[in-house]
Amino acid sequence: MAETLFYLLSIGAIACGAGVIRARMPLFSVLCLLGAFFCLSGIYLLAGFQFLAVTQLLVYAGAIMVLFLFVIMLLNLGDENEIARQSGIALSGKQLAVAGTSAGVFALIGVLTAGYGIAPVETASTRASGIDELQTLAVELFSRYMLPFEAASLLLLLTMIGVIAIAKRQRAGEPTHTGAGFPWTKEPLDEESTL
Amino acid sequence: MNVPTEHLLALAAILFSLGVLGFLTRKNLIIVLASIELMLNAANLTFVAGSRAWAAEGVTGGSPLQGPIFSLFVILVAAAEAAVGLALIIALYRLKQSVALDSAGELKG
Amino acid sequence: MDTSTVSLANELWFVPFLPLLGALLCGALHLAVLRRRKAGGAEAPLQALAGYVACGAIALALGIVVSSWSTLLGGAEAIESGTWNWIDAGSFDIGLSMVFDRLSSVMCLVITGVGLLIHIYSLGYMKGDPGFAKFFAYLNLFVFAMLMLVLSSNLMGLFVGWEGVGLCSYLLIGFWYEKGWPAEAGQKAFIVNRIGDACFLLGSFLLIRLFGTLDLSDVGASVQAVMGEHPGTIALAALLLFGGACGKSAQFPLFTWLPDAMAGPTPVSALIHAATMVTAGIYLLLRLNPLYAAAPSVMLVIGFVGALTAFIGASTAIFQRDIKKVLAYSTVSQLGYMFLGLSTGAWAAALFHLVTHAFFKGLLFLGSGSVIHGMHEEQDMYKMGGLRRHMPRTFITFVAGSAALSGLPLMSGFFSKDEILAMAFASGGLHVALWLVGLAAAAMTAFYTWRMVALTFFGKERFDPEHVHPHESPATMTVPLMILAVFAVFGGVLNLPAVLPGAGMLHHWLEPVTKLGDEILHSTGHELHHLSALSEWCLLGLGSLIALVFAHKGFHAYTSGTEADARARAERPDAVGFLEEAWRIDSTYTRRIVRPIKLAAFLVASVVDQLAIDGAVNGAGSFATSLAQRLRGLVDGSVKNYALWMGAGAAALALSWILI
Repeated sequence: MAETLFYLLSIGAIACGAGVIRARMPLFSVLCLLGAFFCLSGIYLLAGFQFLAVTQLLVYAGAIMVLFLFVIMLLNLGDENEIARQSGIALSGKQLAVAGTSAGVFALIGVLTAGYGIAPVETASTRASGIDELQTLAVELFSRYMLPFEAASLLLLLTMIGVIAIAKRQRAGEPTHTGAGFPWTKEPLDEESTL
Repeated sequence: MNVPTEHLLALAAILFSLGVLGFLTRKNLIIVLASIELMLNAANLTFVAGSRAWAAEGVTGGSPLQGPIFSLFVILVAAAEAAVGLALIIALYRLKQSVALDSAGELKG
Repeated sequence: MDTSTVSLANELWFVPFLPLLGALLCGALHLAVLRRRKAGGAEAPLQALAGYVACGAIALALGIVVSSWSTLLGGAEAIESGTWNWIDAGSFDIGLSMVFDRLSSVMCLVITGVGLLIHIYSLGYMKGDPGFAKFFAYLNLFVFAMLMLVLSSNLMGLFVGWEGVGLCSYLLIGFWYEKGWPAEAGQKAFIVNRIGDACFLLGSFLLIRLFGTLDLSDVGASVQAVMGEHPGTIALAALLLFGGACGKSAQFPLFTWLPDAMAGPTPVSALIHAATMVTAGIYLLLRLNPLYAAAPSVMLVIGFVGALTAFIGASTAIFQRDIKKVLAYSTVSQLGYMFLGLSTGAWAAALFHLVTHAFFKGLLFLGSGSVIHGMHEEQDMYKMGGLRRHMPRTFITFVAGSAALSGLPLMSGFFSKDEILAMAFASGGLHVALWLVGLAAAAMTAFYTWRMVALTFFGKERFDPEHVHPHESPATMTVPLMILAVFAVFGGVLNLPAVLPGAGMLHHWLEPVTKLGDEILHSTGHELHHLSALSEWCLLGLGSLIALVFAHKGFHAYTSGTEADARARAERPDAVGFLEEAWRIDSTYTRRIVRPIKLAAFLVASVVDQLAIDGAVNGAGSFATSLAQRLRGLVDGSVKNYALWMGAGAAALALSWILI
């Protein structure tokens, strides 16, 4: 039962992945990505990682996906002309061949790996609560992985500041592409006079 | 669930190659960003597969929790990356009224 | 060395450094002269001051040497200065100090004594030369280097002096470089010496390997302990160091630079190329006498080289026209005698001949300089003749020097040369053959010496009396000649043969230095045999007879003029030409070594350098440019392409990890 479910979810994830890269409209692409996240979350659950599955749903499907959708809505990318301009393939034939070969190599490695899968591994059923039991995970995270955890919090803070700095709307009268608005650019360069 | 570890890894590889393909070929920056998210998820899946195999074989010394913990950090970095990336897309859109990759070729040397 | 007989005296440092100070002062004075000359002022006072400074520096050094020498006479075995730790590298260190022992005292007395006389002589000889101050700067620098050479306690310090005298020799040979050929002669001397110096360095490295030190007394003291284990290495080191001595002391096959070195001013020839620098090789071998005593095969090689050089030099001198060339080949020949003496283990005999040679050859060079000076820079003996009436003081002193050189009985050269030959005879075996060669060379020496005297001072006046007015040289030049003449005549008392009363003074004086060498020679059965009184008398008589007969022959064949040479040339043109050109050794070098090297250098310069080296350099440049031209397409500013290459690279890496 669980095995069947795994393979079904796998097929779903692959199909959604293909949808992500095949979609004509960014909105559809992002929705496919959402589907892939759900399928992966299910696989995590089956493999015994409840907390990770929940995080996947909350952070990815909940937060990040909303961010994507929010941007799409904000920039009004649903416009037909815009879609025509942005969709399609960005590469020439030769470049496409290189890209395809590169991706093909990774896929091939995956397929070949699958061929080795003779001995099935049973997910430990002795633990009722799965592998990443919340309490042990928390203990581990706040003891052994304390430093990375704190560093990650710092990273998030910096991201927050950076995003605000980048996406901030310029005030009227300021030149648009001289780095003005970035906090480290104290005095905007007067482009016309220097060039 | 009674599935070989290699099958999880194979799924991860296929998802990764799909991400690579999308990342390399698509013009729309949002779809490129989505492809990157797909690749990051594939990486997470390998962590999970490894951690699961470890837990099943009962290897002593070390912890099967390393997998999920690293996955957590990956999700965290992915969130930060998505936020910055999307902010850059907004800045680019303000400048060029477009989210196509080609429109960011101004530093051409 | 026994510490109780060694006294410490830091004033020894002044012995070499006073001349160095003099050299610096003279150099500064030369610069002042140049500046004043530009300004059009009177330069003569400055030039004269330089001369007095130089002479004063040498005189002070001589004073210290004499006072230190009197300490040695009082019973001390050696005087040592404090040690300056020059190089300190882990277990290997080089400490430099000045050691004034019985050997270096003799050398120092010769260097500063004869050096002072030659300095005074130069005051007259170089008068009016625009480079007067520069000349004395070089001369003082030379004395500094030479004193470093003989005083240094360490082979590396000795090498510094060794190279220093080489440099000064180069500078002084090429002193009149405006003429062109002196500059070339200087270069030749320097380059030929380089071969020897390379051998010297290799030999020193072997000594470091063998003994772990370059301290001369330590090396000497540990030879006996090492000689049983590494006889081959010791022989090789001795041979290489002898190669260095061959270069510096103008021995076959490296003697060709010395005749050319006569391009320098005559006082230079007297000081550097007769009395002091060329004896550095003898000093080196004497200093390392235990090493050579432990290598009998090398001793034999030295004997062969010495005898051969003595013979080549003497035979070449017979037909020379240039008075300085005669003396130059004579010097080569006499140095050969010294090496022959060393090869028999007759250390004191070699040093004895070194000292007497410094007297009489210095005298002869200075005398020839006086003649050249009086003849308005004429060096060709065919254009001289009858000069005894015009320059009597020079004549008398020159005859005294010639008598000593040719080994006329009771002169200094007679005793010293005879002792070397007697030792060679006494050693037996192959050395008897070498003795015969030496005897033949002695006969030729007497011949060419008196030929030179006859051609220069006797016979018709072959110069043009309209234009050349020979005159006696000033007192600054003749007084040193007289002093040297006294030494040349009576220098023999330093080391009289065993059959005479008061014999072997120098031999006994040198005993502490050569003790180790003598012990080793004794232990290996190569010790010197002492001749019976009868055979000693016989040898003395034979030497006197040969010297007198051939001196008479040479003198009488040429008193009438140059006809004897013309006759010989007409009868045997090949043989005379062969001898005149020093057995054509130099021209063989030119043909076989110098020209191929020049050709190879030309080829390297025009073909290898132009095509291969420049081609490689230019090719690297154009390759980089063309590669960049191709690669710049990759960096086109398109993010898509960057991503593409990144992805392809990642795929290639993944593939390589799978496959390998």
